[in-house]
Amino acid sequence: MELNIATDDQNEENLRRVQVRFITKLKPPLKVPNTSVAIPSNLTRFGLSSVVNNLLQSVNSEWQSQPFDFLINGELIRMSLEQFLLAKGISAEKILEIEYIKAVVPQKEEGPSLHDDWVSAVDGSNPGFILTGSYDCLGRVWKNAGSCTHILEGHSGALSSIRIINSDGMRDVTVATASKDRTARLWKFDAEEVINHPKKIQAFKILRGHKASVQSIAPKTSGDMVWLFLLNCIFIDVCSGSWDCTINLWRTNKSNAEGDQVSIKKRKVNNQADESQLEAHGAQSSFSKAEAVSTLVGHTQCVSSVVWPEHETIYSASWDHSVRRWDVETGKDLSDIFCGKVLHCIDVGGEGSALIAAGGSDPILRIWDPRKPGTSAPVFQFSSHSSWISACKWHNKSSFHLISASYDGKVMLWDLRTAWPLAVIDSHKDKVLSADWWRGDSIVSGGADSKLCISSGIYIHFQGKSEIIDLHMEEG
Amino acid sequence: MREGKKGSTGASSLKKKEKLKKTKTNQNHNGEDNNSIITKKKNTKKTAKKVQFEKQEKEPLQKKKQQQQQLPTTDSQSESGSESDYEDFSEDDVSEDYELLRQSEDGESESSGEEIHGNHSDSGNDDYHALEDHSNSSESHQGVEESDSSEDEVVPRNTVGDVPLEWYKDEKHIGYDISGQKITIKERQDKLASFLASVDDSKNWRKIYDKYNDEELELTKEETKLIRRLLKGKAPHAEFDPYPDYVDWFKHDDALHPLSNAPEPKRRFIPSTWESKKVVQYVRGIRKGLIKLDEPKEEEQRFYLLWGDDSSAAEQANRLSYIPAPKPKLPGHEESYNPSFEYIPTQEEINSYQLMYDEDSPKFIPKRFTSFRSIPAYENAVKDSFERCMDLYLCPRVRKKRINIDPESLKPKLPSQKDLKPYPATCYLEYKGHKGAVMTISTDASGQWIASGSTDGTVRIWEIESGRCLRIWEIGEAVQYVAWNPVHELPLLAVSAGQDVLILKSGFGNQEDQRKVKELLHVQTPTALDDSDNMASIVSWHQDDKHDGIRLKHFKTVTSVEWHRRGDYLSTVMPADILLFVTFCTIHPMAAFGGKLSGTATTHTHIGSGLSKKLSHRIPFKLHGLPVSSVFHPTRSVFFISTKKNIRVYDLVKQKLIKKLETGLREVSSVAIHPAGDNLIVGSREGKLCWFDMDLSSKPYRVLKCHPKDITNVAFHRSYPLFASSSDDCTAYVFHGMVYSDLNQNPLIVPLEILRGHKTSNGRGVLDCKFHPRQPWLFTAGADSVIRLYCH
Repeated sequence: MELNIATDDQNEENLRRVQVRFITKLKPPLKVPNTSVAIPSNLTRFGLSSVVNNLLQSVNSEWQSQPFDFLINGELIRMSLEQFLLAKGISAEKILEIEYIKAVVPQKEEGPSLHDDWVSAVDGSNPGFILTGSYDCLGRVWKNAGSCTHILEGHSGALSSIRIINSDGMRDVTVATASKDRTARLWKFDAEEVINHPKKIQAFKILRGHKASVQSIAPKTSGDMVWLFLLNCIFIDVCSGSWDCTINLWRTNKSNAEGDQVSIKKRKVNNQADESQLEAHGAQSSFSKAEAVSTLVGHTQCVSSVVWPEHETIYSASWDHSVRRWDVETGKDLSDIFCGKVLHCIDVGGEGSALIAAGGSDPILRIWDPRKPGTSAPVFQFSSHSSWISACKWHNKSSFHLISASYDGKVMLWDLRTAWPLAVIDSHKDKVLSADWWRGDSIVSGGADSKLCISSGIYIHFQGKSEIIDLHMEEG
Repeated sequence: MREGKKGSTGASSLKKKEKLKKTKTNQNHNGEDNNSIITKKKNTKKTAKKVQFEKQEKEPLQKKKQQQQQLPTTDSQSESGSESDYEDFSEDDVSEDYELLRQSEDGESESSGEEIHGNHSDSGNDDYHALEDHSNSSESHQGVEESDSSEDEVVPRNTVGDVPLEWYKDEKHIGYDISGQKITIKERQDKLASFLASVDDSKNWRKIYDKYNDEELELTKEETKLIRRLLKGKAPHAEFDPYPDYVDWFKHDDALHPLSNAPEPKRRFIPSTWESKKVVQYVRGIRKGLIKLDEPKEEEQRFYLLWGDDSSAAEQANRLSYIPAPKPKLPGHEESYNPSFEYIPTQEEINSYQLMYDEDSPKFIPKRFTSFRSIPAYENAVKDSFERCMDLYLCPRVRKKRINIDPESLKPKLPSQKDLKPYPATCYLEYKGHKGAVMTISTDASGQWIASGSTDGTVRIWEIESGRCLRIWEIGEAVQYVAWNPVHELPLLAVSAGQDVLILKSGFGNQEDQRKVKELLHVQTPTALDDSDNMASIVSWHQDDKHDGIRLKHFKTVTSVEWHRRGDYLSTVMPADILLFVTFCTIHPMAAFGGKLSGTATTHTHIGSGLSKKLSHRIPFKLHGLPVSSVFHPTRSVFFISTKKNIRVYDLVKQKLIKKLETGLREVSSVAIHPAGDNLIVGSREGKLCWFDMDLSSKPYRVLKCHPKDITNVAFHRSYPLFASSSDDCTAYVFHGMVYSDLNQNPLIVPLEILRGHKTSNGRGVLDCKFHPRQPWLFTAGADSVIRLYCH
């Protein structure tokens, strides 16, 4: 140990040294001996990383060095150790405990999946495939980078949002899309089919009722318990936000699904009709379209984004500068958060799945904690972007990590424990319109350069579940 | 006389009392006796006296008493003491005796002297009268002398005169008497003898030798006592009481009566006339302020700054605005007869001076001379002094009044920009796609889309949130103006291109709306239009199949299109001396205003189905000047038409002119009305922005000169208190323009932000600016074919 650091010593004779002890929650091959080390205080993250790698190498000679991130008192170090200690007012007298974690950085950039038009929506909540929605009125299903398996056809306007409603494995996947043609549609397909050409799929349900473009659609999601319950559920609950300032709640009967699909197919065969005719058909075969169960009215401007994270609660972000929480049963507006800026995206997650992240018409990603009483000031503000923020997503397992996409062409990976982005993904040439996590270790993003970009290899350690991820990674 | 004499001499104070007695008797005598009688008496007594003197040598004290007794008799004689001077010389021997006596009794010299005189007068008794006269004269003479001092009275017994005895130091005489005989010094005892004598005679210590009179004197006991007392510092006479009881000779209490018991005269109580006149004068003076009281006298400056500036001193002195002439420049080193080398220009420099302008070239070229002698006369001497005189004479010297005011304090107090948020400040989105300058933009009522028209002949619709171009129409002609129908249910777009106005359906909105629009935009054969009158020659309605809309053909270029707030009416402006007022009645013919208007319109043309009327008519008002722009009032049936100089306000229902606003501008370019309808902003080609408050006056409430180039457009925000102006200088200005519902409060105008970012192209900058209908965002259309969105 001493030898390793001796190299540093020679040229940094007169530097201050700090007694540190490296601790970790990582598993044994990544664990360093629990002894204290004196290191120069001007080491940065990179220096600390090399120290830890050296320590690991001394234990295991075949160790291949890899980057680490370091935490002191739960905050990530993003400057030199000395500066950090000074800034935080931490005494360097006693032995400092530095926790290290694997650096959260995308390590691989997969080839872009090209679209015909702007990619306005992506969804990566199923690890088996990626959903994209585009301005060419089509939705697509991608097995992985560059291989499109299904095309969702039928919208007459650009897709604004696409979400998986349920995914029991790869079979029988139900998908909801929202479009600027004022409709939302539900789709069903089997992702496990092996096909050479992309298979075109028709919607089995058309959700009409919005008077203007539907901006966002969100299925009712819940915890693992309800997840199982949902599989057996006969109803599909979806909410959608629109330019007509309302949020519509939809409930469709799952049992009808088969019949619907058939009927539309039948119609499809009959004639290639335009939208009005389709509607006429819909009127005739009333089972093919669904009515809004209820409408949540309260926003004064376009509802740009909705999420339905809990059984009873819907969160919505709007152009009227507010984030609202709705009670599904009563349709009442429970609480408002005003931020003064037009909001484009919202996601709920993080610690206890309670933090609200929202971005809008300024380069600041704001995170509120609604549990904090009496204040609507954001608890975190991340402002490294240089233009509007178009999308933000929490990691579904880690309570610290989230991504944001911006019109400046960047996707940023954030950790709540530091104000600097962990990683900046710069693969897009134009505005990034949407981004999502995929498989827990990748970021998928679609932008105005008509590309779907996948950045993978992000090791996110979270307590108790790291094994699963690691295992999953080995499979992948 | 005598009394004064005796009182003054300290020595004679012994016999004060006796003398007092004497004087009394003397006075008595004088009162009674004649001069002649006195002289007789003198004669008789002189003989007696002689005898007595001889005796006196032995007992002077006794003699004294005797003399005093005799004195009263001799007094009268002594008055003519001056006589003795004459007789002294005649009887020298006798006088010598007397002198001895005299010296021994210094104190009584007087009385003895008198006696001597008496003697003398005895000897010379030739003519009494002459003596008498003489005595009278001498009497006065003596009186003068006596007043001087007591020593003078001592008549010297020695007749040598007032001669220092040193002169006769080695002689045997000490002088001469009057007859010229030597006065010999008596033989002096030698020292031994005198010593023996002193030993023998116990009183010898009292003896004093009088050198002048050459005699020895013996001090009496009284005299030694006197000396002793003097030595002790006491009063010489024992009887003298230095602290006598105070005798108060005067009474101090007021007398009962004044000196004069006469009553006060009346004049003392009456103020004098001239005095009262003077008082009145003063009073008037004080009242008028001519006389100032209590004014501290200006202290004259005792010291002044010798080397100080003349001007200030002069100013202080007489408060005249004297401005001293500027001092001529003092000669420097270069004007020396032998300046250093660095001052002397080279030949090239001198040559270069000739190329310079007269003002720039140096007046004096330094030259070097070896000696004073070789310096020539200064050729410009006369010219220089003349110019100096001219300068002094002609140059006006004016004292500039400089006001010391902090320029910051003159600025109006404006609220800080932070309090006026939100307002557009930063550009995040650009809408790119046009090939030519974007002439015009218009926002959809919902705020989801924006339409733009460009010189490349296209009209585009953009999605605001993403910057995506959704739709393109190829018009074929440069698009002048684009206006989105303000009604949400009627997604119609009015486009002016060249001489035509196209009404297009945007393709947005739900099915029902679109169907309505489709029906609305259906025009039957244009022949139906020109049925009755001349309106057809101005405007004709056509179906445009290419763009699926209506084409309104005008006979001249249309510059501006404005929708009425209800979306029922459309006004187009042709800057060809005629303003066309095109009514475009839609499927909502219920509008009261619309009904009225069509009722008053000169031409009625029902076209197509009964649902929609499509008719147009010219504005029935006479305009003075070319129309530039037109605006509908947001709430009332009022219409604004701006010509190049003025803005006319018409009531469309009553069909008459309400108001004429005088802009005072050279050329109006654009007009925008506040959503409340009482305020108007006008942009001009000279870069000025006028704010009109219609309630205030027909003159601008504020004129803002902000742009260096033409203002291309002005805009009000629909809900936020914001307005903006765009200009050819590639900037757009955002202002806070708060209009209060309180009529007493004037609108508040605060400049907020200058929005930059556009690039100039063909000398044009920002061509249009429009606010987002709901957000505090501003869209600007640039000549660089980009539309930018500025967000808060």
